[in-house]
Amino acid sequence: MSIIGDILTTTRDEVPDETGASVTYLIRKANISYGRISKILETLVQQGLLEQTSSDRACKYKISSRGREFLQAYRGFREFAETFGLRI
Amino acid sequence: MEFVLEIILNLVGFGVGLLIGIFAYTGFKNTGSPTLFRLTIAFLSISIGFGVVGLGYTIDSFVIHSGKIETGIQTLGIGIQTVGYFFIAFSHGIKSFFPKSRYLKSIAVPLFIIPGNSIEHIIRSISFILLVYGTIETIMSYMENRKTSTIFVASGLGLLALGEFLGWYSVVFPKSVLYVISISTKIVGLGALFVPIPKVPLRGIKFGGNV
Repeated sequence: MSIIGDILTTTRDEVPDETGASVTYLIRKANISYGRISKILETLVQQGLLEQTSSDRACKYKISSRGREFLQAYRGFREFAETFGLRI
Repeated sequence: MEFVLEIILNLVGFGVGLLIGIFAYTGFKNTGSPTLFRLTIAFLSISIGFGVVGLGYTIDSFVIHSGKIETGIQTLGIGIQTVGYFFIAFSHGIKSFFPKSRYLKSIAVPLFIIPGNSIEHIIRSISFILLVYGTIETIMSYMENRKTSTIFVASGLGLLALGEFLGWYSVVFPKSVLYVISISTKIVGLGALFVPIPKVPLRGIKFGGNV
């Protein structure tokens, strides 16, 4: 769950350019393997939380408006769990 | 009059537990987080437990008119609440709670057995231990994150533990005000658990898909 939060936060706050973040950039930020991040990105695109944008060389990812809503809610519930000394 | 107060207090407990449970469920529905699922079960159990005892008092007041709640209903309600306390403690990793050494086990086990004259005693002592464990773990978390809201949760769990202890003690002095004080303490405890929730920044959650 925290990986999803990290990916969405990166695509919202730390995108290197307007076309979105590349897979390599997201791997570096989330610190997970290519195989694992590919599956997560596929799910996030299917759920409508991320938008896939094509660039000349590789796929890039941008956060969608639904993704922004989700991230806001995720942070709220993470805060809720943290008040109990727990991790979401 | 005391009976009416007990009904009100139990229904307040039902309401507060339900609100926190619904909040945790909304979180689980949106994020699919197992932690929020456990908190949902915990608070819905606590809420149902209060509800069962409150309903027992209500039925007794308005239907049976015996002036004394059925022990079975009381035990059932407290038992359901204990399930809730277990899930709060379980979320912190209950495995680390049980001592491994034989010596510690020989000390810890009688804590469960000595008050075993009735099921209610056993359930209350288990609740107390689970809540104390939850309180300690939450205080430990506060030491790490230094969030003021965590202190409210730790105080809430501590007050619930105190309430359980007083509830157990009220069995020794059945006609004293200890039971009312016990329920009141538990309600204040639940209230303290609810304090951080309005501070959580949640606005306009429209989606319901589980990620």
